[in-house]
Amino acid sequence: MVKIKKRKLSEAEIPTSSMADISFLLLLFFLVSTVIDVDTGIGLVLPEYIPPEQQEFVPISRERLAAVLINENGDVLLNNQIIAIPQIAKTLIPRIEEKINLPSNKKLVVSVKTDRKTNYNLYIQALDQVKDAYFQVREEYARSRFGKRIIDLDERSEEMKEIKEKIPIIISIAEPESVKK
Amino acid sequence: MKFEKKRSSTKQTIPTASLPDIVFMLLLFFMVTTTLREVDVLVSFRLPEAKAIEKIENKRLVSYIWVGNDGRIQLNDSITKLEEIQGIMYNKRLAMPNVIVSLRIDKNSDMGIVTDIQQELRKASCLRINYSTLLKI
Repeated sequence: MVKIKKRKLSEAEIPTSSMADISFLLLLFFLVSTVIDVDTGIGLVLPEYIPPEQQEFVPISRERLAAVLINENGDVLLNNQIIAIPQIAKTLIPRIEEKINLPSNKKLVVSVKTDRKTNYNLYIQALDQVKDAYFQVREEYARSRFGKRIIDLDERSEEMKEIKEKIPIIISIAEPESVKK
Repeated sequence: MKFEKKRSSTKQTIPTASLPDIVFMLLLFFMVTTTLREVDVLVSFRLPEAKAIEKIENKRLVSYIWVGNDGRIQLNDSITKLEEIQGIMYNKRLAMPNVIVSLRIDKNSDMGIVTDIQQELRKASCLRINYSTLLKI
């Protein structure tokens, strides 16, 4: 009888030296193919749609209203005075500030109205100025009242609630003339 | 007297056995934190810039409307007509009651198309909107 020689098993091993390279490649693929884009923009809440026949005319006193009109040439009219777009914030800030302690039905209403041919960029610049005015007033209020900056305040804290109540951002987007008819 | 060069007796290789694990961990981090782009944008647009901007805190609620520099409107992943916005957005709102509509509009557009879209959104009662802008430095 022939003795079958038991073959010595060679050690079974997967070469792992290139594993790092492979996973680096995968990592690179994900790094390149994914986008981390943060959505930033100017938030706004539109008014509810009411059919023209049900619309009511609610008078707003001149004292409360700041009307920003932008025509197709980019001229800005704020309360019947022609100003440049970068001046909007400066003009609005004192008017927002003087109404901080008034009840909520007496706060300033900023109405932004444009022509159909107005450039969208101009509209955004104007809206930006209005928002900026509100943010500056809020910042100032938070600093004098709580000694803190808005960034350091928690969104749900009492302080933030008070700021939002005292300085609400009321921006009204006026209906364009052709839609009204 | 003859000096002998001192040699350390330890091995001089960096242990690379755990390198794949570390890299896989990095890979997993990137896979989890990033979202893949879901739709192809068919219109070309350049966003306006603004200073007083805010972040959209919840990305899952966002629905986009693009308006290109040629005035074409894209909703979801196809070019849409203005009149169709209301129906599509109404169904979206039924699925997601607090949807935020992010308007990515080319900065050279006219306000006419913007107000038209806004009127459609109001009819579909999608009232929370966000004009997408870049940060002005």
